[in-house]
Amino acid sequence: MIKVYEELATFIAEVDDEKTLSGVREALDSGVEPLLVVESLRCGMSTVGERFESKEYFLPDLILSADIFNQAIELVAPYLKSEKEKSRGSVVIGTVQGDIHDIGKNIVATMLRCAGFEVDDLGVDVAPEVFVARAKENGAGMIAMSGLLTTAFDAMKDTVQALADSGMRDSVRVIIGGGPVNETVLTYCGADACGKDPAEAVRIAEEFFGKKEDVL
Amino acid sequence: MKTKKMLHEKDTMTAEERFQAVINLQVPDRVPTNPFIYFFAAKFAGITVHELWSEPAKYRAAIDKCWDELGPWDIYYPVNTRFPEVYSFVMPMKSLWPGRDLPADNIMQLHEEEIMKAADYAWVTDLAHRWPHLAYFAYFMKLISRIWDTVDEGWRGYAYLMPRIMVHSMGWQLEFASQKKRGATILHGYLQEAPFDVFSLARGLIPFIKDCKERPDEVRDAADALTDSYTFMSRLICLTTGVPRATIALHRTSNDFISPKMFDELAFPSLRRLTDKLVAAGISPILHCDGNWDLNLERLRDLPAGRCMVQFDGPTDIFLAKKVLGDRMCIMGDVNADMLVLGSATEVDEYCHRLIEEVGKGGGFVMGAGCEIPPNAKPENVKAMLDSVVKYGYYK
Repeated sequence: MIKVYEELATFIAEVDDEKTLSGVREALDSGVEPLLVVESLRCGMSTVGERFESKEYFLPDLILSADIFNQAIELVAPYLKSEKEKSRGSVVIGTVQGDIHDIGKNIVATMLRCAGFEVDDLGVDVAPEVFVARAKENGAGMIAMSGLLTTAFDAMKDTVQALADSGMRDSVRVIIGGGPVNETVLTYCGADACGKDPAEAVRIAEEFFGKKEDVL
Repeated sequence: MKTKKMLHEKDTMTAEERFQAVINLQVPDRVPTNPFIYFFAAKFAGITVHELWSEPAKYRAAIDKCWDELGPWDIYYPVNTRFPEVYSFVMPMKSLWPGRDLPADNIMQLHEEEIMKAADYAWVTDLAHRWPHLAYFAYFMKLISRIWDTVDEGWRGYAYLMPRIMVHSMGWQLEFASQKKRGATILHGYLQEAPFDVFSLARGLIPFIKDCKERPDEVRDAADALTDSYTFMSRLICLTTGVPRATIALHRTSNDFISPKMFDELAFPSLRRLTDKLVAAGISPILHCDGNWDLNLERLRDLPAGRCMVQFDGPTDIFLAKKVLGDRMCIMGDVNADMLVLGSATEVDEYCHRLIEEVGKGGGFVMGAGCEIPPNAKPENVKAMLDSVVKYGYYK
């Protein structure tokens, strides 16, 4: 069982779709706990993120590994039955008001889901009050805002202000990202952190919500 | 005898002479400037972007106001178009237009959808073999017909678009004449996305990344096959506009989108062939490199020396680029968007001073914003950028 765990994590970390998917099938057929399979895949995805941050991997590796992960989860789903994995935390994500760019936001949402977070994707051109209302509704611990335009800076600032006005600022962390977003923009809009790429966004979310303990 | 138009008192070269000198890696009289102004002009002039792009007289007045109050500049960066369908010839993507799909004072935004199919690579390659000169145009016509309901794929589409392209071209001629009369020169006579990058935009990033894994030869060969027709179109339009420079837009080949290995194996072969062909045709290629190119810089050394210019928009380490590429090609950039919007004029002045001292050392540098000047940039910051070359940019 330990070997399956280690191999699956390695296969997906190597972005090898065939070995990962056949390994998942083999593990499930041999009676490995489905949640253990999921966790091993997540462990591999974590390695992908580390390799991305060290510039050994690039965006295609994130995209392809996330695609493999999703295919693998489809294989695992029928075995999960009533078992439900505990979410690592709830995140509301969207591209801010006035901006319709969604590639980066979509990739971050996918990577957060792969890492075990519950993600509510509000889409693009999201008004500040919608971010806040949905965070309240979901009991979300984090709002993730994306923007490619410099005009998005004000929308990000407005959203942070709307969150403060709702009285939820202390309980909801705010992360921003997108092409022109950096530490200067972070200071300007009053968010808690900025992620320069999807791997950093996942790492920041893990820091916000706390690292998940190894299930083994 | 016709006197040369000088922009500043200490200038000894015209803007065109200065631009030619830096492209050829010679030392000019001073560092030239090339602000990428369009959406900013609307806000500065107090009109909407919809008015800017739909009413030529207002566009001219807005650009003139920028020139009079913030300029002058050496190089004019033409991007504007009156027709959304014609803009799709630069970047073939779904677009939302101010005053039609968006509020009139918003900026135009591109939306990625899968408008090219995986099977189209083989079609493109075959088309390029049958119509080596016209394939790029025909390929774009097909894409544009999928983007716009107004454009038919057949002859009706050509009949709809050709007059608009001619009107657009005539509009550019008038603008160019106006800028030249003021003493500026023109960045490019032709602007279009590189074939490899078009595939990424038109397929959509995620399908395209899968294509690069599943059918890399098809992607590389189709991009390569389109270089002849890209060159033909560049020659034709550059001849018409009278500007022997072509901007090759590279929005999807940075290290942010593909790995250096993919760049080397799939993107660079066609880029190199394209630049070689343009140079052979007497056209200087201008590479518009968005995103982080740090790990691609060494490879760019293989492009023709003293004939190309490369524009960086901020994420690339422009100081590293000077070290790696400074003896091979002219570099343009890179006052960052966030600095122009949130920084102070003093910060901009200090950064521009550093750019001039380090990237401008020995020539081969054009001062510019990182990509376009943001619509909400502070005017005093734009002025600080343009003024910096007069304060610090003279070589003698």
